[in-house]
Parts: sequence; C-alpha cells; structure tokens
Amino acid sequence: MKTRTGVHEGSVLLCALCTILVMSLIGANILVNCTTRYNVTSKQVKAWKEALIAAEAGGDIGYAEVRKTIGDPNVATIFTNDGWATPSPAPANPTWSKSVTSFGQAGSLSSQVTVDKFWTDSNGGPYYRIRSTGTAKVFGVRRTGMDDRMSTGVRFAANAETRGDSDTLLRKIDFNYDHFKATYGDGDGNGIAITTVSNPQISRRIELIATPVDSFDAAVKCLSAFNGPGAASVVDSYDSHNTPPNGVSTPPGSNYYFAADNPSDPHYADSRNGNVAVDTPSFSESGPIYGSVGTNGGNVTHAAYPNIYGTIDNSISFTVPPITQPSPPTGVSYQPGTPNTINPTAAATNPATPDWYLYSDFKNVTINARQDATGHPLETYVTVVATGNVGGNGNPTLTIAKGVNAKIYFAGNYSMKASKTYNNNVDGATGVYVYDGNATSQTPSANVSRAAHLQFYAINPPAGQTQIIDTNPGGAGGGSAAQLWAVFYAPGADYYMNGNPDLFGAIVCKTFYGNGNCGFHYDKALLWTAGPPVNFRIASYVEDVR
Amino acid sequence: MGIGVVLLAALMSSAVALRKSFSAADHFFSTHIQQIRIIDFLSRDVKRSTIVTTSAANQTVTCTMPNYIVKAGDADVGTYPAGTRRTPTVTVTPNGAVVHYGLVAGSKPVTQVQYAVNNNAIERRETPCTANSSDAITNTGTTVVTTIASSTDQLVPLTLDVELAKTEYADTSVTFLTTFSFNPPPNANPSATPDPTSQMKRDGTAIFARSYLRNKRRG
Repeated sequence: MKTRTGVHEGSVLLCALCTILVMSLIGANILVNCTTRYNVTSKQVKAWKEALIAAEAGGDIGYAEVRKTIGDPNVATIFTNDGWATPSPAPANPTWSKSVTSFGQAGSLSSQVTVDKFWTDSNGGPYYRIRSTGTAKVFGVRRTGMDDRMSTGVRFAANAETRGDSDTLLRKIDFNYDHFKATYGDGDGNGIAITTVSNPQISRRIELIATPVDSFDAAVKCLSAFNGPGAASVVDSYDSHNTPPNGVSTPPGSNYYFAADNPSDPHYADSRNGNVAVDTPSFSESGPIYGSVGTNGGNVTHAAYPNIYGTIDNSISFTVPPITQPSPPTGVSYQPGTPNTINPTAAATNPATPDWYLYSDFKNVTINARQDATGHPLETYVTVVATGNVGGNGNPTLTIAKGVNAKIYFAGNYSMKASKTYNNNVDGATGVYVYDGNATSQTPSANVSRAAHLQFYAINPPAGQTQIIDTNPGGAGGGSAAQLWAVFYAPGADYYMNGNPDLFGAIVCKTFYGNGNCGFHYDKALLWTAGPPVNFRIASYVEDVR
Repeated sequence: MGIGVVLLAALMSSAVALRKSFSAADHFFSTHIQQIRIIDFLSRDVKRSTIVTTSAANQTVTCTMPNYIVKAGDADVGTYPAGTRRTPTVTVTPNGAVVHYGLVAGSKPVTQVQYAVNNNAIERRETPCTANSSDAITNTGTTVVTTIASSTDQLVPLTLDVELAKTEYADTSVTFLTTFSFNPPPNANPSATPDPTSQMKRDGTAIFARSYLRNKRRG
C-alpha cells in the first residue's frame, strides 16, 4: 500500500513540474518577445524621431544665426559673439560650428551644427548651408537588440544603399560604436575612426540651404505710409527680359509698354505684378494698381479701392534692414578726387572689385563704361559714397553710360529731376558685354534690367532727422513725360514724386507720396540684381540617411 | 487515472489556446512594428522629396528626391569623390532660388524611391534617374529593391496639391488583418468587398500619418 501511494505522489509531482515547465517556456517566450516589441515600439522609435527633432533644433539655431546677419556686414563677429567656433583647419568657405549639448528629457538629446557660406550670387547675396546632426540616446537595456523578424542577416555592407535591412536599415542604432564615423567619417570620408558611444544612440543628419530674400520683390514697399498718386497715375509691372510684340510703341531703350488691361497680350501676366506693400495700416491711393496691395493692419478693401486689380491682404508684415555708410573692403581704397567724369579702372569690370569714389555732394557727374578693343561697352561697376546730398539746386544732372552699374550711397537728401537723370543703359542689355579676359569680349551681358544699372541707397539718417528723396523737384527743365530708370533703397527716407514723371524700377522707402499722373512700372527682372537681402528662407532640405 | 487524463487534457488545451493566442498577439505586434516602419520610411522620404505622386489605386507612392550623396558612376564623380556630400547648385528664378544637387550641364540627376504593395509585402524600390526641364523622369541605373514589411497589405497614400496652401503633403494609412479568430471568418482579400466584421477588425489596425514635402517645387 505504501509503495502504490508513493507512485501516485511521484506522478502528480511530475505532472506539476511538466506543467510549470511548459507554462514557464510559454511565459518566457512571451516576455522575451514583449521586451523586444516594447523596446522597438517605445524606445527605438522614440529615439529615432527625437533624433530628427534634435537635428531640426540644431538647424533652427543655425537658421536663426544666419538671420542675425541681415543688414550687418560683420558676419564673422556675429557668429563669434554668439559662441560659434571656426573649425580647424579652417575650410575654404567661411564656416562656423556650434555644439548644443544635453537638452530634452534627462539631457538625452544633443546636436552639432555647422554653418558655411557656400555661394554668393552676382548681387552679393550670401547663401548658407546649415548642416545639423541630432543625436538621441536610446533608453533601455541594449541586450534586447532590435526586431529581427524581417532580417535576412544583412547587418552591414560597405555600400550605403544596402546597409542592413528592416529596422536596421531605417533606424541605424549605434549600440556600441558610432557607425557613421566608422564608415563615413565627417560625411565626406575624412576622419574615419572607430568610436565607442557611451550609450546606445541614434543620430540623424540634415542639411538646409538658406537663401536670401530679395528686397525689391514689389514695386513700392513702405515702412510707414503710402499716399499714392492721382487718378491718372498707374502702378504696374513688366519684365525687361521680354521683347515687346511688333508694332508696340515703347520708350526708347525700354521694353516697357502698358499691357495690364489686355488679357490677350503675350506679356499680360508680367504686367500685373505692380505690388504695393505697407508695414502699417496707412494706405491711400487714387489711381489703378495692377498688382496686389498689402498693409499691416489696414482696412483696404476692393469696395473702397476698386482700382486695385490684385489681391488685398491687410495682415502682412515685413522688415527691411537699415543702410549704414559702407566702406571699401580691406585692401581697397577710394579712387582719388571727386571727378565730374568718372573713367573707371580695368578692375571695375569685375563685379567683385568695383571702383570706389567718395564725394561730399554728388551732382553733375558722368560715369563712363569700360570698353573692349572694338569699342563694345563692358559691364562696369562703380560704387559712390556721398556723405552729403545727391543733386540739389540748379537743376543738376547725373549721366551714366551704357554698361555702367552704379551703386550710389548718400547720407543727405536726394533732389534731382527724373528728366535730368540719364541712364543710358537699355532693357535687354543689347550691345553690352561682360569682360571675359579677351581683348574682344564674346560674352553678352545677362543683366537685362536697365533700372538695375542705377541703384540708389539712402543711408539711414540719425534718429529724429528726416531724409527726403524728390525725383521731380521744382525748377525749370522738368518737361513732360520725364522717365527715370533706377531703384531706390531708402528705408529711412520720405519719397516724393510730383507731376508726371514715370519711374521704371522699384522703391523701398519709409513713406511714399505722389500726386499728379506719375507712373510706377516695376521691372520683374530686378529680382536678384539689386538691394541687400531682407531675410533668409529655407529653400532646400535633405537628410543624409546613411 | 480519470483525474489525470482530465488534467492532461486541460493542460494540453490550455497550452494550445495559449500558443494560438500568443501567436496571434505576436503577429499583431510584429506587424504593428512593421506598420510603424513603413510610416517612418515614407515620412522620411516624403519630407526630403521634391515631387511625390501616387498611383490611381493608391497602392504605390513615388518620391523624387535630390541626389545628395555622390555615387560611383555619377556624371560629376570627378568633381566630387564617390561617397561624399555634394555642394548644391543654386539657380535663381523669378520665383526664388531653386537648389539642385548634382546639376551637370543642365542635367538634373535625381533619385526616385517607389513604395509599392507586392503580395502583402511593402517594397522600397530606389532608382537613379535624370529629370529634364519639365521634370520628366528617365531611369539611368539599376533599381535596388528592399522589402521593408512583409505582412501589411494596404498602403493608402494620398497626395494633395492645393494652390492656396502652396504646399503638398502625403497622407498614408497602413492596415493589416489580424490572425485572431473571427466569427464569421474574415475575407482575406482586402481588394474585394470585405464583410463588415473583418473590415471593422482591419480598421482597428490602421495607422495614419501626414508628411509635408519640404522641397516642394513651386515654380
């Protein structure tokens, strides 16, 4: 009896142990899989997304720093004062870098940002490349690894396109070593090294391109008020790239003609961008505006202004940087004297090395262009700084020859009749060449805008002082149908135009006042040819997914 | 003896039930991980694309993106060593600056990545291409196919280009059918009209994401 009882007790024990074993195996299997799933869906996905957040935070820091350079030529100082360092050895492009460490939950995020100016356009506009690497720690124990259900065993290959598979291919977690530094170094194959990581981490790398925003993106931009001309006036646009149709009458040397009321005209679309922007609510106008009108808090409506043929937006805002008196770059001096006739040097055929002249008052001056061996006018660049006025009493004149690109900075007032301002360039730049190193130049000019060849920059007056620009002051010689091809960047000036002149170009000013039947014809070809950058925008975003 | 048989039967039943339940749960969560992976792959590539299109049946998404990294055989491989990052070329247009990577004599090399449903698997097909001035794409190399998910079966992308919004985005919804037991049995074919019960179960697994193109060409 005792023996039989013992056999039964052993069976029960065996069954219990088997049951516990089976249940434990199932439970352990579930736990292992749960841990893996939890790790993937919670920790790894979280870190992967946070790495991009960190990279974008770094990109934003770089972008914000780039925007600080608007209106300030001392770019390097701006970066240095904000704690940016120049890499060593210094790259060919001006480059600054900054580390942002320990932000986010428990300091799990960090980013490394590099900003470099990789290109400058023909107008001097800087283009910045912002590279940012964001790193996020992967929390959780590293032995749980990754989800291998989809894996075919490919963990790494030298070819970046076939590195790993499934989650490995996407998330690229560095459990023990920084895979990027070990394979690609700095991204271009420099400084390849095996580097351990203190915690499992994910890094994501982005590159942003910040491009300048043009100051002359509208016919008239006013910081304070726009009081437009009379009912007989017009604000419209044209593009000096366009050749007018046969039979159409244009001003001599210009491609402008009025097409804004003719939808069948081939250049109708280019004729209705005569935009007006005011950074305050103050706007009034009587004549037609073939473009959009924007105010900052105004009450402009189509009912009140039926002659506005574009859209109306009363919630815009913009900034334009002030102008300070420029100086020749290091190693360059002003040309001697204050000649009435400027004959530029050979270096002035390069837009990067214009001739610099310093005047007190600037009037009754003729600027000639360089010519090649056959007498072709060459694009010639001259920068004038006037510490006093431009023009003045006595009907002064200004003449620039065909091919001259004049930037005229002035600290005082501007008073010169449109009819006495002779810009002898032509729309389309026909017959003008770019110096290409040959005695006889073969490269036609691509700067087709006549207005872009004559640029006025009004240096901001001291606080409390006014600055006046008058393009049709009183006095003899005004004549009728006076025409002026020029651009004015004058954020501290009050701009006046009375009577009936026509301005072809664009205006940035503090206040605008016009009466009579003067016309404003915005040349769309001005974009990217004149004026300082007024902002930056991100034009490109790429991610280095290696 | 009888009690032992009952216990053993109960044990076996429990083990089988647990195993089936675990298998279904495991399938659910592993597929869920793949859903997240698809969404993350798409989100990453849509963000860096210049153009995103979808097929009429909403089962294919095609992303066209800049050629950021120089590869062997690229036209500018002499200028930049293979495996390095390109310096972009900026083209100034009346509508703003346009940034290109790998612009050589007017040729615009791009990379085209296509996500497609293929027998319940999601494939990522990456092809080197060239875009002409009208952004028409021509393949110039071999397509590399990667299976990024094996058991999700409904990729429903939508792209929208609203002029006023001045932007474009891609909506993606990924679903799968769980292997939990159903009554009545589900219709396994998602393209046919499914029965309400299985459709409800499928809807319960949906993951949705919206990704905006950051390089949308607005010219």
